Amino acid sequence: MYYLKLIRSFMRASLQQDLAYRANFWINLLHSLLNLVVALAAILILFNQINDLNGWTFSATVGVMAVYLIIGALRGLFIGPSLETLVGMGQEVWNGNFDFSLIRPVNIQFLVTFRIWRFFSLFDLALGVGVLFYAVSQSPDPLTWLNWFLFAITLAAGTLIIYALLLGLSALAFWSPGFLITWVFDALFQLARYPIGIYPPFIRILLTWIIPIGLITTIPAQALSGQIGSGMALTSLAVAGLLLIFASLLFHRGIRRYHSASS
Amino acid sequence: MASIISVKDVSKTYRVPQREAGLRAALSSLTKPQFLEVEAVKSITFSINPGEMVALIGPNGAGKTTTLKMLTGLLQPTSGQISVNGYIPGKRGNDFLSQISIVLGNKSQMLWDIPPLDTFQVLGEIYRIPKEILRQRIDEMVALLDMFEILRKPVRNLSLGERMKCELVASLLHQPKVLFLDEPTLGLDISVQNRLRSFILEYNLRYQATILLTSHYMADIERLCNRVLLIHHGDLLYDGALKGLSSLLTNSKIIRLTLSEQQSEQQSTAWLPEGAEIIERNHHNFTLRVNRSRTAAITAELLKHLPVSDLSVEEPALEAVIDRVYQDGAL
Amino acid sequence: MNHRGGLALIRSTWLSWMQYRSFFFILAFGWMVPPLVAMFVWMAAAGNGNVGGIERSAFIAYYLVLILVNQLTYSQTNWTVGDIIREGSLNHWLIRPLSPLYQILSSEIAGKVVYLIFTIPIVLILVVLLKPQFTFSLNHFVIFWIALFLAWALRFLWGLWIAMLAFWATRADALLALQDSMIFIFSGMIAPVAILPGALQKIAEFLPFRYMVGFPVEIMTANLTSQQILIGITIQSVWLSIAALSSWIVWRKGLFRYSAIGG
Repeated sequence: MYYLKLIRSFMRASLQQDLAYRANFWINLLHSLLNLVVALAAILILFNQINDLNGWTFSATVGVMAVYLIIGALRGLFIGPSLETLVGMGQEVWNGNFDFSLIRPVNIQFLVTFRIWRFFSLFDLALGVGVLFYAVSQSPDPLTWLNWFLFAITLAAGTLIIYALLLGLSALAFWSPGFLITWVFDALFQLARYPIGIYPPFIRILLTWIIPIGLITTIPAQALSGQIGSGMALTSLAVAGLLLIFASLLFHRGIRRYHSASS
Repeated sequence: MASIISVKDVSKTYRVPQREAGLRAALSSLTKPQFLEVEAVKSITFSINPGEMVALIGPNGAGKTTTLKMLTGLLQPTSGQISVNGYIPGKRGNDFLSQISIVLGNKSQMLWDIPPLDTFQVLGEIYRIPKEILRQRIDEMVALLDMFEILRKPVRNLSLGERMKCELVASLLHQPKVLFLDEPTLGLDISVQNRLRSFILEYNLRYQATILLTSHYMADIERLCNRVLLIHHGDLLYDGALKGLSSLLTNSKIIRLTLSEQQSEQQSTAWLPEGAEIIERNHHNFTLRVNRSRTAAITAELLKHLPVSDLSVEEPALEAVIDRVYQDGAL
Repeated sequence: MNHRGGLALIRSTWLSWMQYRSFFFILAFGWMVPPLVAMFVWMAAAGNGNVGGIERSAFIAYYLVLILVNQLTYSQTNWTVGDIIREGSLNHWLIRPLSPLYQILSSEIAGKVVYLIFTIPIVLILVVLLKPQFTFSLNHFVIFWIALFLAWALRFLWGLWIAMLAFWATRADALLALQDSMIFIFSGMIAPVAILPGALQKIAEFLPFRYMVGFPVEIMTANLTSQQILIGITIQSVWLSIAALSSWIVWRKGLFRYSAIGG
């Protein structure tokens, strides 16, 4: 209950901060719309020339793009902004303000995950959902409730995986502060716009076993189009759980290092 | 009275990676990393009673910030025992954290683009302060600091002094038993410094909060603290009343002399007794440094041989004394 | 023209940026990824055959060259100029005995050298891994450099006059964002202009964007006829003149307004 009230308080403060900069709203709107247009244009131009991308139909490919947008929006809602304060450009770990966060009688992982909210991402979320419905509408086969159910599970898993990856990468900042590792992740994450099945083998292996970005967007899209079953869906959930545990451990190790080394 | 802060044989050693320039050194540092051990704090022991206001002084890099951070749990000691309010700070338990607070002079915990009141409300949630009580505490402190007008201005529009007032209020909302202040008056103008000092004194009087303060401003220390811990090169060199510090740090005293007639330069130096040196001269006002043990004798001689219109004996200025300690590096 | 001052400025800018090279390398990496993604997508689309007459290895060649050309013509100063005008730092520039153009150019050149230190090795590695197919002709090689220089000048000046609108509008960011999207679609990044769908292709041949990036790349990799090259260079030069003129006008008018309202 306490933690829920805290989240509400963080949300309120974040909203107030955002409203202090009203001009940004229109710029953000423009950016979101432009990104959407460019992303869809890419797929339309592609499928103007072909019918089938390594077995992926137009509808399925747009589906992956939709999942990419949706998960990007969920990340931008609170995970991204909160962690950016820790390890982004104005690095708290680096400039010493992190001491204030550590001194609070609140679990530090909870704090760095939930403290900053960007409600504009809800708009991005709506756009992503819109693209999803467009993809579904273009699907040659109708979707059953099982498809949607598995989609929900794998989408949740995908969100947990991206959180775990970002948390783990952010934890690395305790060992090398100043290196903008989340920017590297952002660049790599671009590859998740498309089904990972289309990439050459070495990229596919990288995106499945080393930095499991492929699990984040491709699997949910496959669940929706019925290409994978409940076994795979549960596996992705299990993988998400494992990654989360590992990332949390890494994060706490990082905090311990901060405590023994900061000066 | 049981102490609220107890520090026993606490040390902190940093391992700093050593690397020389050049490619070969860089490669060898990969396989055989070399570390330099920096002893930031060397086996210090002290204890503080509830309600005391104590200053932690020492030159930069002496170990005072390290000590402060160990007391708050932000840093783990390498060895020794620390107890604050019955807790081990290093464990960083939530109960412990709810009873302490920090103010860092050149850093801000306020949310930047919104009024301070909004930050106070978030802190109220974090520290589980009931709404009514939060409001009362804010009102009380706002009245003491005369900051009513700035409560609703975005923090980025406030001056440094106004921001520090907010920092102080923010740190006291949950009425911590122990307050750690790291250079709280840094960069502020005199009137704001005075304001903040009065506030801290008043707060300590009303709530018996234990306060540990580091500062480079002697005025802070002289006004607020009756006890001083001097840390230098990681060692605790002095622990006691402020007054005692200068007599321990120096074996000299200052005599201020005003003569009723103008003396020429020749005659001035001639009349100087042994063991006295002129450190300042302004027309017929003289400032002399004399050996502490010979103060009475020298004073008698000056009165006997010179047309003295005014004479006073003082401790040397604490700042000057401490500066010399910092420079000489020893007591 | 203060050449000595200019060269010294370039060198010192480069040296100071090299201190932060991990930051700049991450930026360069980020710019590389969208063309790489497009490359992989078209590689998958072409499979063992071709798309619109372009084979798999030709796509690889096209995009690897595009990565280099994009890096060489990308003008980051456009973003900083707006900031400089807004923050009033322009005063510092105006009172130096060095034409502001030199100061802009110094950061351009310094930046490109830093980025290329990262980009070139990566491209070389990819050439070895992916084995693109190159058809080489000396004539084309020479003309490529001319077109490349014109492309850089065009992209730079075009972005410059838009950025200088900061003299009037507080945020020219929106227009620059729009410009980036236009470039992505029409300059040959999303797909070589030759395989854009009908209407888009016609538009792309007239808009300036193709001539900022795609055109030099096509000279190197797409077997253009002499006539096509000639027409291309002509259109490129026309747009360059327009951009130069616009920049000059906006600069003069902007400076007038800037000093009139006190900077």
